Amino acid sequence: MTAHALTAARTAANGSVLRAWIASPLFLKIAAGAVLLFAWEVTVRAFAPAYVAKPIAIARVFTTVISDPQFLAAAGATLGAVVGGLLISLVLGTAVGFAMGRIDLVERGLRYYVNSLFATPMVAILPLVTLWFGYSADARLAVVVFAAFFSIAVNACDGARSVPLEYLEVARSFRAPPRHSLFDIVFPSSLPYLLAGVRLAAGRALVAAVVAEFFISIPGLGYYILYNSRTFKHSEAFVAVIVLVAVGVSFEVLVNWLTRRYLPWARRD
Amino acid sequence: MHTMSRGQARIVMSGAGKRFGTLEVFRDISLEVGEREVLAVIGPSGCGKTTLLRCLDGLIPLDEGEIAVEGERVEGPRQGVAVVFQHFGLFPWKTVFDNVAYGLKLAGASRAEIQEQIPEFIRLVGLAGFEHYYPYQISGGMQQRCGLARALAVKPRVLLMDEPFGAVDAQTREILQFEMLRIWEMRPTTMVFVTHAIDEAVLMGDRVLVLKGRPSSVHEIVEVDMPRPRDRGTLLQPRFAELREHVWGTLMADARRAERELAR
Repeated sequence: MTAHALTAARTAANGSVLRAWIASPLFLKIAAGAVLLFAWEVTVRAFAPAYVAKPIAIARVFTTVISDPQFLAAAGATLGAVVGGLLISLVLGTAVGFAMGRIDLVERGLRYYVNSLFATPMVAILPLVTLWFGYSADARLAVVVFAAFFSIAVNACDGARSVPLEYLEVARSFRAPPRHSLFDIVFPSSLPYLLAGVRLAAGRALVAAVVAEFFISIPGLGYYILYNSRTFKHSEAFVAVIVLVAVGVSFEVLVNWLTRRYLPWARRD
Repeated sequence: MHTMSRGQARIVMSGAGKRFGTLEVFRDISLEVGEREVLAVIGPSGCGKTTLLRCLDGLIPLDEGEIAVEGERVEGPRQGVAVVFQHFGLFPWKTVFDNVAYGLKLAGASRAEIQEQIPEFIRLVGLAGFEHYYPYQISGGMQQRCGLARALAVKPRVLLMDEPFGAVDAQTREILQFEMLRIWEMRPTTMVFVTHAIDEAVLMGDRVLVLKGRPSSVHEIVEVDMPRPRDRGTLLQPRFAELREHVWGTLMADARRAERELAR
């Protein structure tokens, strides 16, 4: 092969590597993000007042904000309420949902109420909650539980109702006591439903905590955003928004990872 | 001679009848199954074969008559009776090992006993090496091997087979039939084998119970006077063909009449 042909071949190979890289999902994600950020920066610089948040300004205050003890306390308070509320909802919602799913009398009694409350916009009851719990962290927790509980209960109920009869028959044939089957069969069989409920509940809980803080004015990420927006510190407010997004996404990733790791069978059908 | 090798009656059905509401499924079934006998049950679909099996297991009660296992009236699932289900009935969240261990665990076996005994049954059905697989990761034939091991692991004295190979493909079905014969020779028990395949009924059964009619009842009991152990060679014997033709004739006369009635 001549030196010329070799060079040509190398160039062609490099060209196809470059093309593959450009078409790769990672590159496309980064490129799209960069274009959006650039457009945002340019637009705000050109048309908006100086205090409006723009990418470079946010990046500049980012580390200061997330190492600020006050911000950390606010984040801790909000996330504490979300996680605490989710745990309470998970325990109570699973119990109520399973009772509804497995006991007809309970289901007939509660179905309308649970479905109606599931459909009730959580924001609508906020003023009432403050009357019952005062302008306190308890009110926020109550709103979070209200937002999360019903989606878990509804899904747990669906899960418990959809346990294939065949499984229960196998259990009966092997002389399993009914209480044993609740934990050994109904629970694992409902897990995929329960996880869907938890995912939905997590999103609703996060919204509930932030909105509750807007309304009740207690320390937390929602209140941090509200306060900083009103005092024209938009970049600082935006850091809190980014943290909330990160929390929401992380939760989704965590649930997916746990499902893959511990419930590999649930990904089928 | 055959009555001798069957041993004493382990299942006794007397005047057994079952109805769902106004629909009478079967009536007046009286029959004994010996302690080392395989009774194949065959009949057109919807004739109540599976319902009879569920009654034998005590999953649902009879409406008339009585079924006794080992001299005791069946009033619910009994220790010593195990079912192999048509659609396998494996728990998707349990591995092959845990599925096989399910019955033994419920029977109160200790962890050490389970660790010691289960591998033997997994080997027996040819699933060694797949202990940690989940059901969705193995083929239908392997899933039913798992279902069979789960039933065998409780060392049943009565094995109830509910169209066990009905949900697997034809080739796998043949393989599993001969596996089943081999396993039965190693641990002969009372077995009631429900099937809708005539070949399978004749190959497996010491007798073939033909259920027919609406409500169905015992139409005929065919003695399968062919020696055990049975294997692929059994299928090639003239007697096998004769018996198969006989059962075929009995069943199909009815099926043709039913078809003609539908056409009318």
